[in-house]
Order: sequence, then structure tokens, then C-alpha cells
Amino acid sequence: MDRFKLRKAEPQDVPDILRLIKELAKYEEMEDQVILTEKDLLEDGFGDHPFYHCVVAEVPSEQQNSNNNGSVVIGFAMYYFTYDPWIGKLLYLEDFFVMKEYRGFGIGSEILKLLSLTAVKTRCSSMHFIVAEGNQASIEFYKRRGAADLSLEEGWRLFKIDKSSLLKMSSGPEE
Amino acid sequence: MSNFILRKTEPKDVSDILRLIKELAKFEEMEEQVVLTEKELLEDGFGDHPFYHCVVAEVPQEKQSSDGYTVIGFAMYYFTYDPWIGKLLYLEDFYVMEQFRGYGIGSDIPKLLSETAVKTRCSSMHFIVAEWNKTSIEFYKRRGASDLSDEEGWRLYAIEKEDPLKISAKKR
Repeated sequence: MDRFKLRKAEPQDVPDILRLIKELAKYEEMEDQVILTEKDLLEDGFGDHPFYHCVVAEVPSEQQNSNNNGSVVIGFAMYYFTYDPWIGKLLYLEDFFVMKEYRGFGIGSEILKLLSLTAVKTRCSSMHFIVAEGNQASIEFYKRRGAADLSLEEGWRLFKIDKSSLLKMSSGPEE
Repeated sequence: MSNFILRKTEPKDVSDILRLIKELAKFEEMEEQVVLTEKELLEDGFGDHPFYHCVVAEVPQEKQSSDGYTVIGFAMYYFTYDPWIGKLLYLEDFYVMEQFRGYGIGSDIPKLLSETAVKTRCSSMHFIVAEWNKTSIEFYKRRGASDLSDEEGWRLYAIEKEDPLKISAKKR
């Protein structure tokens, strides 16, 4: 399997990106939680101000369901830039998935390598991402590439305030 | 202390932002870890593509701090993306100078950010808190925050610069 290609996602990749997002969510038994639409992905990723970036992995295809250039998208990574007030720009890896039947061929490694190159080229000091603590295979994959568990080393915990609480807070009286 | 204002930062605020970043880092005994410069803050925040956004809290001249500053608090945030729901607002840094605390400035800042999140059609506001920082954890929980690390078992990882260079240089 050395006939795969990695490239920046284009607007016509949006249906494939959503398909792969749902496939990854299905694997986590959370498919019904994906409420994002192709329209959102298009506006948010390919407008004046992209809120995310994507690279896709494609392989040549003989089948009917290939895209215009006779290829099929079989993996993707979604990332964006974040900012550390002590050091500046960081690359944040949000989602990363290769379809099951295309694993074991080094596609995942190449994706991560491309993202590392992107991070260095855009003068990011670090690449950050979160991993579920139960996901040993992924933890090992990243640790082999030098990843450090900041939750362990620095004791960080991720919090969220979701929309209903945001609405409450933004319209509520002063404390 | 009802006469303070919250406003979006402008290029001229960059030296105050860096000062407050360093003050917060000093509080965490990490001041020498701040390698960011005013030049980078200017390019990264006020160029074609801002990598961060800031709001500052400002008091009138007559209420200035003991060392003569009127910009006495700030919050730094940016937009992130959840592949299931879309845009999120990520609160990165949040600090009010010690002598100006207890007046509600710290409550008004998350309130303003919540409004910003709703206006920009974000589904949620995310941020990280050090697990030992009980005061901050309580502050956020009072405002409806839930601990995703607890509920969903997420752990934050980093691959530092030397490692991305190592990864990108490695031959297959």
C-alpha cells in the first residue's frame, strides 16, 4: 500500500470529511452525537476565516464511488491553531482517523509526519491533542513519537461550559 | 469598584497584555517560561489572521494600580472546532490584578465571553484548570462548568518542538 496520497482538503472533500467524522464517532458509539452538517463544514473550513484545517489521505479506486480524479478518501486529520500565552502559536490536532481496512500501511504515521512539518513551518512550538485515558493503542502510538502526558505531568483537567449555561451566564444578573 | 470597563484589545494594549501574562506566570512561579515577545503578540493578534483574541479590564486614571497601570485584567481566547458540533470558544488565560479582585471584574469577564460565544454561534466554551486550583474549579462550577476530564476521561498531550522536528525528519 504505497499508492496513497496525502493532501490538503478542498471544498469538494466536505462530504468525505463528514463521512469519516461519523465513522470515527460510530467506532466510539457516539454517531448520533454528530450534529455537524456539510454546510457547517463548508462555511467553517473554507470561508474567509477557516476555523479548522484538514488533510486527507486518498487511494486510487476502480469503483463507482470514487471522486473526480479516480480516488477515494480513506483517512483524515483535522487540526487548528491555538495560542499559548507563554510561547505563542501551537498546532492542535483535533481528529485523526484512517479507515480500518487501510491501517497498518503507515498512512497514520505519514499523516502525523505531515502535521509535524506543518507545525514547524508555521512556527508552532508544539503540537497538542487530547487522548481518552482508556485508549492505550493511541497513547502508545503518540508516546513512541515523543508525546508527553501533560495531564499527568502538569495536572491539567479539561472543562467545558455548554450552551445552556453560557446563555444563563450571558443573560444573568451580576454576581 | 463599579467604574471599570471591559473592551476588546487594540494593538497599543500589547505591552499591558504581556505584563499581565508575566504577572500570572509569576503567580504560578513560572515567569522565566514566558518567552513570548510584544512583537509576536502584535503579529499574532493583530495581523490578517488573528491567532488569539483578548479582552481587557480597564479602570480610570484616578483608580490606577499602585504601580500606575489602568489595564488591570485580561482574558485571552480563541476559537476551536469540535468535529461533532462545530465552533467552540476556548478560554486560554484569565487574570485580574490582585488589588482589583473582589469587585466583580472576574465575573463580568466570563459573562462577556459567554455573550461572545453565543453571538459567534459557538456550542460551548472550553478551558483547562489545574487540578489543584480549587478556587478556580469552584468559580467555574458555580457557573455551570463540568469537568470533562472527569466525565469523559480526556488527558491533554503535547509533542514539543524537538519532537515534531524529529518526526518530520524521520525517513519511512
